[in-house]
Amino acid sequence: MIDPIVSSLKIASSGLSAQSTRLRVVSENIANANTTGNVAGADPYQRKTITFAAELDRLTGADLVKVSDVGRDPSAFVVEHDPGNPAANADGYVKMPNVNMLVEMADMREANRSYEANLQVVKQAREIINMTIDLLRS
Amino acid sequence: MIPAIGSALPRVEISPSTNFVTGGVAQGGVEAGKGFGAVLTQIASDAVSTVKTAEATSIKGVNGESSTQAVVEAVMSAERTLQTAIAVRDKAVAAYLELSRMSI
Repeated sequence: MIDPIVSSLKIASSGLSAQSTRLRVVSENIANANTTGNVAGADPYQRKTITFAAELDRLTGADLVKVSDVGRDPSAFVVEHDPGNPAANADGYVKMPNVNMLVEMADMREANRSYEANLQVVKQAREIINMTIDLLRS
Repeated sequence: MIPAIGSALPRVEISPSTNFVTGGVAQGGVEAGKGFGAVLTQIASDAVSTVKTAEATSIKGVNGESSTQAVVEAVMSAERTLQTAIAVRDKAVAAYLELSRMSI
């Protein structure tokens, strides 16, 4: 497995799975954009964040990417006046999740682009391998 | 004349296999001087085990136990191994055909 082309396939595949996890986190945030607590004054859904880290693959000596942490965004919740909501406090204010749709959409698009880039690496590596094997034919 | 040809043929048979072993196509498992047959057996059994892995991963993927990327990766690896094996086999068969076409 010390073949550099094969190891770049492996690296690209680690990138693919990292970006999939990123997309998963984005979809959780979007799905929970309106999740409030169910008792008065309770905290709503707190936005999730994802962090990547380089991981050394001992077999090939290459740096793979892995998800190092899925954490929580500590920024302040958005407060809305909605006295009829079960999560409203005594003054009628409800804490809404700190999810910004625009940020999530941008993040989703970026995950998509990175996934495409990694797929392109897989495609190229595969083409190179096939071209080399084709030398045996002809 | 006949002993000369007879002693030449085994040499023809042996030299490609030693080339393969030193060339690293079939690493380990094939001792030098066993001929094409052993090399091909080794390559074929490697290919079979890779294809089996790909099948197992595909079935896992269908059951939802494994990610799409893992399935694609395993199948691509099987395809690669199979293509290499077929190319090597074609080369070997072509070499034997070339020998059989030799004008006596």
